[in-house]
Amino acid sequence: MDKPVISIRGLRKSYGTVSVLKGIDLEIRKGEVVVIIGPSGSGKSTILRCMNAMEDMTDGDIFYEGQSLREMKKYADLRMHVGMVFQHFNLFPHMTVLENIMYAPVKVRKEPKAEVYERSIQLLRKVGLEEKKDVYPAMLSGGQQQRIAIARALCMKPDVMLFDEPTSALDPEMVGEVLEVMKNLAQSGMTMVIVTHEMRFAAEVADRVIFIDEGVILAEGTPDQILIHPENPRIRTFLKNKL
Amino acid sequence: MSSLIQVLAKYRSLLLNGTEITLIISVITIVFGMIFGSLMALMKMCRIPPLRWFADVYVAFIRGTPVLVQIFLIFYGLPIMGIHIPAIVVGGNDISRIVSGSIALVINSTAYICEIVRAGIQSIDRGQREAAQALGMSDTRVLWAIILPQAMRNIIPALGNEFITVIKTSSQVSVIGIAELMYTANTIRGISFKPIEPLVIVALIYFLITFVVSLILSAVERRMRRSVR
Repeated sequence: MDKPVISIRGLRKSYGTVSVLKGIDLEIRKGEVVVIIGPSGSGKSTILRCMNAMEDMTDGDIFYEGQSLREMKKYADLRMHVGMVFQHFNLFPHMTVLENIMYAPVKVRKEPKAEVYERSIQLLRKVGLEEKKDVYPAMLSGGQQQRIAIARALCMKPDVMLFDEPTSALDPEMVGEVLEVMKNLAQSGMTMVIVTHEMRFAAEVADRVIFIDEGVILAEGTPDQILIHPENPRIRTFLKNKL
Repeated sequence: MSSLIQVLAKYRSLLLNGTEITLIISVITIVFGMIFGSLMALMKMCRIPPLRWFADVYVAFIRGTPVLVQIFLIFYGLPIMGIHIPAIVVGGNDISRIVSGSIALVINSTAYICEIVRAGIQSIDRGQREAAQALGMSDTRVLWAIILPQAMRNIIPALGNEFITVIKTSSQVSVIGIAELMYTANTIRGISFKPIEPLVIVALIYFLITFVVSLILSAVERRMRRSVR
């Protein structure tokens, strides 16, 4: 077994008196695709957001490549290694597609512009939107915007990619194109943690599925164990309501 | 109509001079108002309580008192506080008065621009900040490269309104003897014994200036809108 890239130990998170995560232990290994499922409000997104320090932890710790997030003074370094894709894409509306993708590698990490340009074009080709490189996000459909957002995160050459319900804000006919890009990414060996409600997609790409309910991991295992032949009655009802 | 043209022709150079002073004061106020107003907006949203309190009190006080009072307070108050602006006369205009008047207008406009900028920054979706942070950007970079450009675009109509208000408000510094347009109108009324014509002329000049400014602003707005969803 490979060493874990991210390991979560006893993670707790509360907002005031409301406890959202009640002790999560989870390891993400290199090259692994982990899908987190569970009912709304179960804390799925919160786990993801803790992994790149978008939320601070109430208790417990997270280790990235063995380094404690609690001991990090700045999160910029961590975030350059851990890419994130959001439910609402969050492309920068005042920048063109290419500017969106190139900004962080060029300005934050100070990579040579020509190199980043090459890489950006390759990524745009990969997500099938090369011809859109000079348009503004406003001119793109939701599915296209999300594919650009994925390309933007990938251009930082992350070691891990976090997906926070990447298709939940999309019209049904656009879900497929985004999942397709993610599937290709999974096949290329990228380490991915995905929060999603797309069960069929989860079954297809996941190496491991985590079921979360009320802030705890209720079950974890292969897609077959969790999604296709679940034993836990709670998961069964959840999946039944999904279909 | 003919008497309007008469007055205009006879006091052309006075009016031109007045227009120039009005424009100079307005530009100074807008430029420094933007700088200090933006800084004040950042203070209002910063994590250090005393800075926030200062900005809150400042805005509340300035917005809650008449600009005329503020102009007098600065004009008579600065020397009392030991701040003397040397009385330099350039082209018949007392620079010290212009400086004093401009300071008062900048102080006034800063409060209003602060509120406009703050509203603009707060109108930007939280996701923009998060996406920028997730790409490893520092807080300063997030603000300057991601939040402010979008905020500025959103607040152009409100800023335009404020710029036009500044141009009109500048007429109030005539009370401390700055020979801007309003002061010029009164001067001409005194020496020509014509009570109405000078007022009509300066009204038209004010309108011309604000109209051109609003045209420029709507052109800028249209340019900026191109990329908006």
